[in-house]
Amino acid sequence: MGKNILYIEDNPDNMLLVKRVLQSRGYGFLEAPNGVEGLAKAEENNVDLILLDINLPDIDGYEVARRIRRSSKTELAYIPIIAITANALKGDAEKALEAGCDVYMSKPINIRELWARVEAFVASPN
Amino acid sequence: MASYPQSINSPTSQVTSYLVKLECSGCGEIFSAGEVHTFCPDCQSPLLARYDLETIRSRVDRDDIRPRPRGMWRWHELLPVMAPENFVFLGEGDTALLPVPNVGKLLGLSNLYVKDESSNPTGSFKARGLAAAISKAKELGIKKVIIPTAGNAGGAMAAYAARAGIQALIYMPRDTPRANIQESRMAGAEVVLVDGIISDAAGMVGVKAKAEGWFDLSTFKEPYRLEGKKIMGFELAEAFGWELPDVIIYPTGGGTGLVGMWKAFEELQALGWLSNAKRPRMVSVQAEGCAPVVKAFESGASFCDFWLNAHTLASGLRVPKSFADELILKDVRASNGTAVAVSDPDIQAAQRKLCQLEGIFPAPEGAATLVALETLLKQKWIKPDDRIVLFNTGSGLKYLDQLD
Repeated sequence: MGKNILYIEDNPDNMLLVKRVLQSRGYGFLEAPNGVEGLAKAEENNVDLILLDINLPDIDGYEVARRIRRSSKTELAYIPIIAITANALKGDAEKALEAGCDVYMSKPINIRELWARVEAFVASPN
Repeated sequence: MASYPQSINSPTSQVTSYLVKLECSGCGEIFSAGEVHTFCPDCQSPLLARYDLETIRSRVDRDDIRPRPRGMWRWHELLPVMAPENFVFLGEGDTALLPVPNVGKLLGLSNLYVKDESSNPTGSFKARGLAAAISKAKELGIKKVIIPTAGNAGGAMAAYAARAGIQALIYMPRDTPRANIQESRMAGAEVVLVDGIISDAAGMVGVKAKAEGWFDLSTFKEPYRLEGKKIMGFELAEAFGWELPDVIIYPTGGGTGLVGMWKAFEELQALGWLSNAKRPRMVSVQAEGCAPVVKAFESGASFCDFWLNAHTLASGLRVPKSFADELILKDVRASNGTAVAVSDPDIQAAQRKLCQLEGIFPAPEGAATLVALETLLKQKWIKPDDRIVLFNTGSGLKYLDQLD
């Protein structure tokens, strides 16, 4: 059974970078360019981990995290969420964790750290 | 009297720098040293400057270095600036290595030293890194630079940018020591005070740099501040007769100095300039209110977790996560070193102790190293005859508002 990661991110450069490295490790990859679409994909698919940008064009990442934690789909309510932010606003880290994210990472994303953080929740299929 | 660039070339070397390339510290990707780079676009790790050490080894003798005019640039073959006219020199480097026998006697240590970085221009070790980075920025034709800072790096960048004729923009926490704010403005930099800490300032700098084309001199997000800081390692090797001390105790915020010195030791070994292969044990010192490296070191992690609600009076240690956390942890472990967290009241007591017993008025970050030493002595991690170097990274005079 493949392991699927959903990345909710509006920046295409970051999306491409993360997609490339995670697919190279054998993960299935789902992408969403905004919060609403991200929530829908999380509900519709079997997802093992969510990478979540905070500064999204519609609803912000904090709200996305809160809605995921309130989901009636039990496995989604407990899914690991890694917040990835540009850290442009004061207290991003604290707010992300309070909203229900498990880990906070700031951009630029060190790829080996991303691997380590993802692996800590979902072992690489490769 | 040091006078650059006129007297830079020694008889044995007509080449200023042997910089050949930049190498990603994470994935090993190679980048041209002749172009402007920040960090690795592939894996987003810091880039390291690499030199033609084989040729230096064949053309330069370690004893060629000592007679040159004092200052950081006497190590110019191992610095990244190609043309001497681009050296932006304010007297940085060649700080005193002071024996501290009174503190040593109190602690039962026979070989205790302080590397006193407070005599650098702008009163802190930050001058070294910013001298290298601004000089290279000048050489690369960069016209405007931006930085997030806990304080001293901002003051240093402002001074070197002023001398280089480069526009400077600085983001620093609103509660940064007043001296840092005033010295930056005095040198003509624009200063933006941020409601938050350095990580908040870093986020704003990232957005501003991208939107308006400022070159970001954030710690490890460009390759050359590290090169200036590594000279501390060269100076220590020379001062100890090319045999490195047993223990170096270093306050760690962004970690450039610690990583830089370890790089210096690797380069010296490759050059064959060290008398033996023995390396110091590196001790990373942080404040209890912001100790991401200590936490990661103790848990065996390769990266630091972002430290929430970071607080300490040692403003330079209020760094919730370094961009080079992986390198810091790797180097501390490679050295068989350790990481220690110390309290603010102990830091203040150590400031007074160093001042009253040795006449050294240290920055709180520097005083933190003495607290760490006392902790390690209690743990018997240090032997009485070890040759130990504490790093005082700056002058206590820049933190007078904390003493009011």
